[in-house]
Amino acid sequence: MPTAPQLGSPPDEQDKLLDEALGIVKVQAFQMKRCLDKNRLMDGLKHASTMLGELRTSMLSPKSYYELYMAVTDELRHLEIYLVDEFQKGRQVPDLYELVQYAGNIVPRLYLLITVGLVYIKAKPILCRDVLKDMVEMCRGVQHPLRGLFLRNYLLQCTRNVLPDVADGEAAESDESSCGGTVQDSIDFVLMNFGEMNKLWVRMQHQGHSRDRERREKERQDLRILVGTNLVRLSQLECIEIEKYTKSVLPSILEQVVSCRDAIAQEYLMECIIQVFPDEFHLTTLHSFLRACAELQPPVNVKNIIIALIDRLAAFTQRTKDDGGVVSTDLQLFDIFSEQVAQIIMSKPDMPSEDIVALQVSLINLANKCYPDRVDYVDKVLGKTTEIFNKFNLERIGQTQAVGRELMKLLKIPVDNYNDIMTLLKLENYGNLLDFMDYDGRKAMAIYLINNALENETLIGTHEQTEFMLGLISALVQDQADQPAEIPDPEDFAEEQSLLGRFLHLLVSEDIDEQYLILNTARKHLGAGGNKRISYTLPPIIFAAYRLAFKYYQMKDEDSKWEKKCQKIFQFCHSTIVALTKAELAELPLRLFLQGALAISKLPSENQETMAYEFMSQAFSLYEDEISDSKAQLAAITLIIATFEQMGCFGEENHEPLRKQYPLAAAKLLKKPDQCRAVGTCSHLFWSGKSTASGGQPFNDGKRVLECLKRGFRIATQCMDLMVQVQLLTELLNHYLYFLEKGNDQVTVNVVNQLIEKIKEEVPNLEKSEESEQINKHFRNTIDHIRAKMSTDPDLYKGIFIDI
Amino acid sequence: MLVLVLGDLHIPHRVATLPAKFRKLLAPGRIQHILCTGNLCTRESFDYLKTVAADVHIVRGDFDENLSYPEQKVVTVGQFRIGLCHGHQIVPWGDPDALAMVQRQLDVDILITGHTHKFEAYEHESKFYINPGSATGAYNPLETNVIPSFVLMDIQSSTVVTYVYQLIDNEVKVERIEFKKS
Repeated sequence: MPTAPQLGSPPDEQDKLLDEALGIVKVQAFQMKRCLDKNRLMDGLKHASTMLGELRTSMLSPKSYYELYMAVTDELRHLEIYLVDEFQKGRQVPDLYELVQYAGNIVPRLYLLITVGLVYIKAKPILCRDVLKDMVEMCRGVQHPLRGLFLRNYLLQCTRNVLPDVADGEAAESDESSCGGTVQDSIDFVLMNFGEMNKLWVRMQHQGHSRDRERREKERQDLRILVGTNLVRLSQLECIEIEKYTKSVLPSILEQVVSCRDAIAQEYLMECIIQVFPDEFHLTTLHSFLRACAELQPPVNVKNIIIALIDRLAAFTQRTKDDGGVVSTDLQLFDIFSEQVAQIIMSKPDMPSEDIVALQVSLINLANKCYPDRVDYVDKVLGKTTEIFNKFNLERIGQTQAVGRELMKLLKIPVDNYNDIMTLLKLENYGNLLDFMDYDGRKAMAIYLINNALENETLIGTHEQTEFMLGLISALVQDQADQPAEIPDPEDFAEEQSLLGRFLHLLVSEDIDEQYLILNTARKHLGAGGNKRISYTLPPIIFAAYRLAFKYYQMKDEDSKWEKKCQKIFQFCHSTIVALTKAELAELPLRLFLQGALAISKLPSENQETMAYEFMSQAFSLYEDEISDSKAQLAAITLIIATFEQMGCFGEENHEPLRKQYPLAAAKLLKKPDQCRAVGTCSHLFWSGKSTASGGQPFNDGKRVLECLKRGFRIATQCMDLMVQVQLLTELLNHYLYFLEKGNDQVTVNVVNQLIEKIKEEVPNLEKSEESEQINKHFRNTIDHIRAKMSTDPDLYKGIFIDI
Repeated sequence: MLVLVLGDLHIPHRVATLPAKFRKLLAPGRIQHILCTGNLCTRESFDYLKTVAADVHIVRGDFDENLSYPEQKVVTVGQFRIGLCHGHQIVPWGDPDALAMVQRQLDVDILITGHTHKFEAYEHESKFYINPGSATGAYNPLETNVIPSFVLMDIQSSTVVTYVYQLIDNEVKVERIEFKKS
């Protein structure tokens, strides 16, 4: 046997060799066809033989050899067509079969033999069995791996349409035209060819120098499909039913696969089996297939094989169920896989941990798809994985590590599958497993969980569940022992915490007492989140509590303790807002106090006034003590006044001090324009403001309103900047008109006329600018407004002088 | 020219998210401008609006931390001058005559304010006033039954057709109100 150098020629040399060979093929093919045209068969065969001789080369790489093979077999088809033709004209085929045996070299001889053999079978189907057997035996004559593989591939290609495919015992041998053989003959034929090809393929591994191993393995990968075609052929035989497959076909294949002890062949062929045979077959042969997996060579990636099988069967089972079909119930798919996977893991102590987790991922997928209601299966897998991690002593796994990626996948499956994070409550091992991830991994999972809950609007309905969930996502809720020392990116941090804030709105129970417990539980967890987090996480809790107070109020006829409960809620809110002030926040807690005051004002109860007063005074203290920026001060006092204006729950005793304090504070603002505007705002407290003393009706205290406006006027005239002064006066003019129109008899036509006169005087003195134009426009709009009012209500503005 | 008017989202303080049915309606590419009355509260909400239309105008609500948002803003669309202000600064809140003072100051044809979480659209002394309500239907102590709502203005030269979208019993109801500039 020629053990020629398994190709040593560099790539350009390859091209040259291939070109030369292809040239010869072309010439010889041309000659062959010419001879055949002239009916000179012997000469034609001679040229064919010379052409086929090119396939004897040992110098070509598998790729080049494949090209050559394609070219040659393409030309051979002409010969085949000619011969079929000849046979139809009456030439004796057996003669030909003998004839071609005289070709000098074995490679051309066997190619010719196969070509003629095929014609022979077509001519006399009855002989099919014998000819097939003969050919597959004869091919043993070529033992060079590359040449042998292609030769046998040719055999397989040529015979693909003539393989007998009738059940055993049905072959009508007496009938000349019928097939000579049964499916068993085809099986024997293909299996033998498969065995021989696999041997040739495996042998390639052991030829040549060891330094060429890598290249050789690549070449083997290139050739694998030739071997796999045998299995495809078997799968195409319709008469192979489950029993035959289980009893004879698969055992033979597996025996060949296992006994060849070659990792490349084993890995490929096992996957090939999964791919080409139908799912029903796999279901029946699960045990033997998985047992074979355990016997494969150590380098074989068993994980991929098993995952491929699990995924296929899971999809199949799901499909069958969806179509209303029944998958045999006595087949405990999950148990079988779970057991076998465990055994495989045990039998392969050096299997990397990421592969082990990947197997678990597949098991979970299987459980989910085939047994969607068996949460315990999922938990079992998670438990197994936890065990394995403990054994491997793994901790703080990064999500960029291979095993981390697999673990993330594993953790996400139950989330994606149930789309209901409450199911995680039933998975005892979920939290344990999550804890194996490092800080970033846990945080990423927390975000994943939250997003899933938000998308599916999954409500967390009890305080126990709240406890559990906030524990699962604790990487977002509180500082972690293993978090990085550096300060996180502020934008990312804000985004994460806002997401957490959104999640809190899912903590909802229909039962309002339970809701209160939920909020308390959440508050406990979130309160420990540190100063940076609480500005995002506590406000949602506070607003939820305010809403809850309204619910208690609605239920007041059914719950005699509602007042006490409401009071508790506002105490809870109070202390929660105080916690925010301790985090050196001022504006946010101020606004939250005001929101609380508004809520209280809407819920008449025993302690309403006291509580409302406390909230208002807390807000005012924050204003006085904590807010120093002048712009923020104006905004805050305006909001306090505006809020107070809405509240009708105070008696005179509490209303008066507040009502008096705010204008004082307004007048104490740093900048004159701010003073003027804030004082103007205060005027409403005396008009539309109300208390229990006024019976909830507006005070309509025209005198006090006027006092405010007058003070505003004084402050405005003190402004040095004329532009600002005129602007403030115009604003004041509008305030005067507002109250005049509301029926405040203290606002006289005289005062309004004076103000208009003053503005009119000053407007021309303003320096031309965009700002002065705006003021001018503002003034004109105000005059237009008076004019419009005059036309509809002449009495109202009687005596006002607007001739401008 | 389609102008989206919305505000008082209060995410994450008071609600988790914009109603799904609204998000579906606000497909990117249809709307040219967004006028937001404030209280977005977070950067993500702003980024979301940016995906709906590139041109976003926003004023500061009482719960906005972003100091760069102005208190008031005037935007010109077609022949309309449109004033934008959250409204918590205008006392008494939501009072038409108080709002009219701001309209005169800003010299606008349309004044848009929010804060009350209650949709309003009315003509007052030949000017148009819109309050888009709260797009998320966020809690408000002064409004017991907050209906999520937003407004779409179709502005054609001197006419504005206003469509209000309200989510009532999880169904989107649309109403149409027309305003012509005098």
